[in-house]
Amino acid sequence: MDAPFLDIKGLDKSFGGLRAINNVHIHMAQKEVLGLIGPNGAGKTTLIRLIMGILRPDTGSVRFRGKEVVGRKTWTIVNMGIASTFQNMRPFRRLPIIANVMVSCQCPRAMKRGEWVKKIEAKAMDALEFAGISDMALEDASTLSQGDLKRLEVARAIATEPDLLLLDEPFGGLSPAETDLMAKSIKRLHKGGRFGRLHSEGPAMIIVEHKLQQLMKIVDRIVVLDFGTIIADGPPEEVVKNEKVIEAYLGQGGV
Amino acid sequence: MDLIIFYFRKLFTILKKEVLVLPSRVVVILFFLFVLLLPVLPVIGNDPYMLRIFTLTCIYAIFAASWDLLSGYTGQMNFGHALFFGVGAYSAALLNHHIHIPPWGSIPIGALVAVLAGLIIGIPCLRLKGTYLALTTLAFPIILIGIVFAFPDQLGGELGISGIERIARSKVISYYIIAIIMLGLCTIMWAITDSKLGIILHAIREDEIAVRTAGINTTRYKLLAFSLSGFFAGVAGGLYAHYMRIAGPSTLEVSLSFQVVIWSIFGGIVSIYGPIGAVFVLFPLLELLRFWEQGRTLMFACIIILILLYMPDGLFPWLRDKIEKECPRCKKRNFWRRKTCRICTAELD
Ligand SMILES: Nc1ncnc2c1ncn2[C@@H]1O[C@H](COP(=O)(O)OP(=O)(O)OP(=O)(O)O)[C@@H](O)[C@H]1O
Ligand SMILES: [Mg+2]
Repeated sequence: MDAPFLDIKGLDKSFGGLRAINNVHIHMAQKEVLGLIGPNGAGKTTLIRLIMGILRPDTGSVRFRGKEVVGRKTWTIVNMGIASTFQNMRPFRRLPIIANVMVSCQCPRAMKRGEWVKKIEAKAMDALEFAGISDMALEDASTLSQGDLKRLEVARAIATEPDLLLLDEPFGGLSPAETDLMAKSIKRLHKGGRFGRLHSEGPAMIIVEHKLQQLMKIVDRIVVLDFGTIIADGPPEEVVKNEKVIEAYLGQGGV
Repeated sequence: MDLIIFYFRKLFTILKKEVLVLPSRVVVILFFLFVLLLPVLPVIGNDPYMLRIFTLTCIYAIFAASWDLLSGYTGQMNFGHALFFGVGAYSAALLNHHIHIPPWGSIPIGALVAVLAGLIIGIPCLRLKGTYLALTTLAFPIILIGIVFAFPDQLGGELGISGIERIARSKVISYYIIAIIMLGLCTIMWAITDSKLGIILHAIREDEIAVRTAGINTTRYKLLAFSLSGFFAGVAGGLYAHYMRIAGPSTLEVSLSFQVVIWSIFGGIVSIYGPIGAVFVLFPLLELLRFWEQGRTLMFACIIILILLYMPDGLFPWLRDKIEKECPRCKKRNFWRRKTCRICTAELD
C-alpha cells in the first residue's frame, strides 16, 4: 500500500506558556480539499507554518507521502511539493509582479517540471494568467490592491508546482465579487484547470477561511480547531451541526 | 564594401533608435568615452597626478559596486567590506613577492582567496540580520589587522609588503588596463543584478522568509552573493596592491569600509551605477581639496548630509528620475520631454 499522502501525528507547539497547537492529528488523502476553520487565535496559521517548516513543533510528526517533513528546511519542503500562501501577504514590494513570481519559478522543483523550452518569464506569466493578474505583470507589487495581492500570493504558490497547497485565508479582505472569482479559481485549480499542461490533476489543498459559506462550496471535509485542539472533523454538513463547533465558533445563528 | 556600409547603417540605426532616445544610455556611453579617452584629454590627461587619481578612482569604483552587489541588492549589510579588499591586496602581494607570480596571475588568485575569506565569514554570518550582521562584519577586518601586526616578518606589520611588481611599465598603460578591467567588471556586476539571479538576490533583501517559501535555498544564494562580491572586491584590492606597489594595513582599515558605505549611499544603493558614479564624483573631489586640509572633511560631510536630506535614494537615481519618466502602461523609460511613450505611444503625464 502507498504511504498516506499527508499524515500529521501528535503535533504540539507552545509559545512561552501558550499552547498554540495541542496534540493535533490530521490524516489527508491525495486530491482531497480540506477546510480548516476555527475562531481567531485558534492556531490555524501556526499549523500551516509548522507544516511549512517556518516554525518547528515541540513534538509530533508531519509525514508527506511517507517522508518526514519536521526538521527540514522550508525550501526543501517546498521542493517536496508543498506550497503555501501567507495570511498577511508578503510580496516583494519593490519588484514588479512578474519578478515576484519568477522567484518561485526558479526553485529546483519548478525548473525540473514543465516545458523546458519555456523561459522562466513565460512560466511566470502562465501562473499570473491563472491567477488573473497577468495584465498587471509589470506593475510594482506595492501598487496592488488587497484582492490582487491575494491573487499574487496564489500565483507565487502554484508557480512552485505543488501537490499540496496550503491557502491561508484566500478570501480575507476581498469583496464579495472578488471572493467569488477567487473561489472559482481555486475550484478550477483543484479540478486540474489550465495551468500550463502541468496540473493534469490539481493539487490537494488545505484552505483556512472564515467565510464559511464560500468555503463549504469548495471543500470535501472540514477540520475545526479551537485553542489548538481539533474539536470536529468531518463532512461540511455534519460539522456545521456539531454542538461543540456551534458553541466555540459559529454561535447560535449557525452558518 | 557594401557589407561594411550595411553594418555601419545598422550600427547607426541601433545608436539612433536604442541609445540616443534615453538620456541615461547617453550618459553611460559618455562615461565609457570619458574613461577611455581620459589620458588624451587636455588638462587632466597630461598631468601624472590626475592620472594617478583617476586610476585609483577606477579601483575604488569596482570596490564600491561590489559592496552594492552584496549589501545593496542582497541586503546583507556589510560594514567590513575592506576585508575583501585587504585580503585581495595582501594575497596578490604575497604571491608576487614570494613566488613571483606576475600580476595577471596574482590578482585573480588573490581575488579567489578573498572569496574564500568571504565564505569563511559568510557561513557564521548567515544567521545574523541587520544591525547584528553589520556589527559582526565590522569586526573581521579589525581582527585581520591584528593578525598582520602579529606576524611582522611574514606580513610586513605596519609597513606592509612593498616592492611588488607594477601592472605595466608606463603609467598610461597601467591606467588603461585598470580602466578596462573596471568597465568590464562593472558591466558584469550590472548584468548580474539585471538577471534572474539578480531578482532572487533582490527578493532576499525584501523578505527572506517569503523567498524560502518559494522553494529557494536562500543560504546558497546568500553565500553566492558573498562570494561574488568578495571576488570583485578582491580584484580591486589586487589591482590596488600592484598599482601602489604596496599592500599595507590601510587596505583593511575601518575608514575604508565606511568610505565605501558613504560612497554607495551618496550615489544610490541598489543600482550599481550609483556607487560607481559616486566614486567618480567624490574621490577626485576629495583629492583635489587636499590643499584645504581642515575644511575638506567638513565640506564633505555637509555635501553628504544635503544629498541624503533631499535625495534619500541617492544622487544618481534622483537625477535619473528627473531626466526620464516611466511610461505608466509599459513601464519603459522615456526622455522627460516626451509627450507619448516611445514604445507603446501611451500618454505620459
Ligand atoms: N510567533 C509567535 N509568538 C508568540 N505567539 C504566537 C506567535 N504566532 C502566533 N502566536 C499565538 O498563537 C495563537 C494562534 O495564532 P494563529 O495565528 O495561529 O491563529 P489563527 O488561527 O491563524 O487566527 P486568525 O484567524 O486570526 O488568523 C495566537 O494566540 C497567537 O497570539
Ligand atoms: Mg491566521
